[in-house]
Amino acid sequence: MIRENARILRKERLERFLEDLLQDHLVLAPRRKGELLLLDRIESPRDVVLEDGKTKNSAKYALFPQRERIFAYRAEEGKVELHVSPPAEEKQILFGVRPCDARGLLLLDTVFGGDCGDPYYVDKRARTLVVSMACVNPGPSCFCLSLGGGPCSTDGSDLVLLDLGDCYVVEAASVKGRAFLQDRSFEDAGAEALARAGKIRKEAESSMNPAAIGEALEKRLEQPVDDLLWGDLAESCLGCGVCTYLCPTCHCFDICDEAAAATGERIRIWDSCQFPLFTQEASGFNPRPSGKERFRQRIMHKFSYLPRGRNMAGCVGCGRCVAECPVNLDVREVLEKLSQAEAQ
Amino acid sequence: MENPYVPFLMKIEEIITETEDETIKTFVLAFAREEDKERFAYLPGQFAEISVFGKGEAPFGMASTPTLPERLEFSVSKIGVVTGALHNMEKGDTVGVRGPLGNGYCLEAFKGRNLVLIGGGFGFSTLRSLTNYILHERNRKAYGDLTVIYGARKPGLLLYRRDLDAWGQRTDLRLHLTVDQEEDGWQGHVGLVPNVVRSVAPGPENAIAVVCGPPAMMKFTLPVLGDLGFSDENILLSLEKRMKCGIGKCGRCNVGSKYVCSDGPVFSQSELVHL
Amino acid sequence: MSRLTREIREAARTLLRDKQAQVVIGFEEGSLPLRSRPCFIRKAEDVDRLVWNSFSEINLARYLTKRKEKVALVTKGCDSRALVELIKENQVSRDQVIVIGVPCEGMIDRARVEAEVGHKTIVEVKETENRLALKGRAFEKVLDRREFLYERCKTCDHRNPVLYDMLVGQLLEEKGQDAFSDVEAFNALDREKRWAYLTEEAGKCIRCYACRNACPLCYCPECFVDTSQPQWVGKSTGLSDTLVFHLVRAFHLAGRCVACGACEQACPMGVDIRKLNRKLLKDVKALFNYEAGVSLEEANPLATFSADDPEQFMVNP
Repeated sequence: MIRENARILRKERLERFLEDLLQDHLVLAPRRKGELLLLDRIESPRDVVLEDGKTKNSAKYALFPQRERIFAYRAEEGKVELHVSPPAEEKQILFGVRPCDARGLLLLDTVFGGDCGDPYYVDKRARTLVVSMACVNPGPSCFCLSLGGGPCSTDGSDLVLLDLGDCYVVEAASVKGRAFLQDRSFEDAGAEALARAGKIRKEAESSMNPAAIGEALEKRLEQPVDDLLWGDLAESCLGCGVCTYLCPTCHCFDICDEAAAATGERIRIWDSCQFPLFTQEASGFNPRPSGKERFRQRIMHKFSYLPRGRNMAGCVGCGRCVAECPVNLDVREVLEKLSQAEAQ
Repeated sequence: MENPYVPFLMKIEEIITETEDETIKTFVLAFAREEDKERFAYLPGQFAEISVFGKGEAPFGMASTPTLPERLEFSVSKIGVVTGALHNMEKGDTVGVRGPLGNGYCLEAFKGRNLVLIGGGFGFSTLRSLTNYILHERNRKAYGDLTVIYGARKPGLLLYRRDLDAWGQRTDLRLHLTVDQEEDGWQGHVGLVPNVVRSVAPGPENAIAVVCGPPAMMKFTLPVLGDLGFSDENILLSLEKRMKCGIGKCGRCNVGSKYVCSDGPVFSQSELVHL
Repeated sequence: MSRLTREIREAARTLLRDKQAQVVIGFEEGSLPLRSRPCFIRKAEDVDRLVWNSFSEINLARYLTKRKEKVALVTKGCDSRALVELIKENQVSRDQVIVIGVPCEGMIDRARVEAEVGHKTIVEVKETENRLALKGRAFEKVLDRREFLYERCKTCDHRNPVLYDMLVGQLLEEKGQDAFSDVEAFNALDREKRWAYLTEEAGKCIRCYACRNACPLCYCPECFVDTSQPQWVGKSTGLSDTLVFHLVRAFHLAGRCVACGACEQACPMGVDIRKLNRKLLKDVKALFNYEAGVSLEEANPLATFSADDPEQFMVNP
């Protein structure tokens, strides 16, 4: 529902708007690098590319980088010194991210926040403003609507822009977002603009195909599924990490030391439950010895364990895993087959 | 905010070779900074991630008891990169310790109950911590009968000989030691731990059983406890899984909807049945 | 439906019905426009899932190792060459695979098609002969598929499978010897430019190992990347570690890689992985006069020892 306090940003003023942001923020936005559309730092408004589709990498990249230093150390002659870098102070803005990516941040917030918070993530998150761009033209791999989100969802965003053609409707979706709007003068969005926005949103939503996700699936997954079915579903899976690395909610990581004689760093790097070593124990025993078990873990973790343990599915329906999987393994088809699988 | 990824620095005060094949050593550690001692208040059953800077971290159960807060003890079996590096270290070297992690044994729930502690091989570490905690003069009265059943393949592979000897002299616990293979001079039981549990036959009334050991031992001990009348809520197990962050974030130890490092490693059998 | 699709289905139906194969590994339509994907057919009534089109990428020989079943493989030229190497390396036995040979006119480079329509969302694709009809929400476009093939398909000199038990369609005319002009062009650049290019490509890599896992010749139970004692290469995306990964993998594949391009297709970040492999392919050809995957009889020179191997590098340092 687009609220009454929505504003308008005329397209001819977008460049100026971005220039203002760049004055005192680090701005990450979609930009083209070769053939890829990537969410990355921009230096000028002209770097920004606003077009159909998602960035290859998801917004998690800005808050949970693939490689993050935990601390540096020096260890020599029996003495050890640890050095944790002080948190950066620069404020950052994620501009033009999709509502699915913004929603993904909500799951990452519950994982990395809480009592035993991860200071690296929490600190960045506090300094980040999320300005999403609603999807006017969802693609065939998108299924955000089936996960409780939607092409114009405001979950996880501070501000959401929706393209009306000649201008954007700007809506605040959080306290931070409202404060941001108040600091800057925007025109009010009139009833006509809101009506157009509502129509665009309806069209976008109805262009999407539903996926078999919901209570029925969760209930089915509480019961065991035949091992042979998992084997069939996972048969073409290559066991690489593409789905997990590009996913906006996947967050598994490894901690390792990179050493050079007396000095080194302890770093946190992305890891994937799809890799065989993920659960391999020192004795050589592996509770998930083959692709089938690892495939099952991914599906169950996202659609059964996380909903049970954290009340949130581990998926926002962005569809990157469907589109980027080298063998086009479609999680929606997998869930459909699982929903229909006979109870054991 | 507290940074849960940064370890305390600790110095190795003593290294005790526990087993005759030298694969298991106990490291006695002291805090490099006095004030860190206060921040490491732990319960038996918890664990910590030990760092060898340059090699990495690995999780180890607390083998020491919190009633002796001056030193922390961890028993390390030499298997991989970090444990191999630890075994090569000497008195005076510095390691990192991150913790305490995990849920530990629920001491409040144990009060007034009879306790049956069953351990096998290397898994006995945290049970040693728990036993010493309970035996402490401040604590002993709060708990009922204490039965400890501990087995290893051979006498030379039993850990904590000094503790075992001291416990053997006491009257406020019943200690049953067993080995798989008999050797000259061995005075205790001979037989696998599950069989010894069956013959000792601890009573289930008002009792809680805590089991910690290799998977095979746990697998065969559980039905014995069931036969003896222990219900699933009163059987506790300490699970081991490949762990990394220790705080329920990195996903490695995820089993069903739980994380072994933060929801466990101690689980009741009834919880595990549902996972 | 194309003739090739029809003939593949017929062949599969017969093989399954007569129990000559337990599984047919081929391609089926993907769930998105411009995609086809591997499928495993075990029942004769399912053969209508099989298709053949210009999106039938990924090297299906990758699914042969460690498989116990008797397989019928829908095999294009590059797949067949990978199969030859797998047989020579004793990973698959010749009689375990019934090769349904398919002469291939090249696969379409999705990224170029997407760029051609300005990255607007494509909702439907229809392929007939050489005509590719694309539809989006507010546009339609027709392309000639021959202009959008992968570079490697344009210069492919093994369009026909090098071995087969049955052939569908008709053999195509082979275009002639590979001149390695791409490698020569790169080598002609000066050192700084080459280094800049390689480091830029490595900078894109996210260490997902899609390249390795898609490669039919990467079948090691424990990859060198995963060894921790000793740790040969770091797991992070640091430049030096990533470069080492790609360089070492290229060397491990030297004399075995058939340059099928599955690695490039699988890579989500568009890393030019094949560049290194092509260079080593050229060197192996020049030094040993050997091309991987062409002949079952020719032994891999890097894996065989004979008493009269040249030893100048030892004798004349």
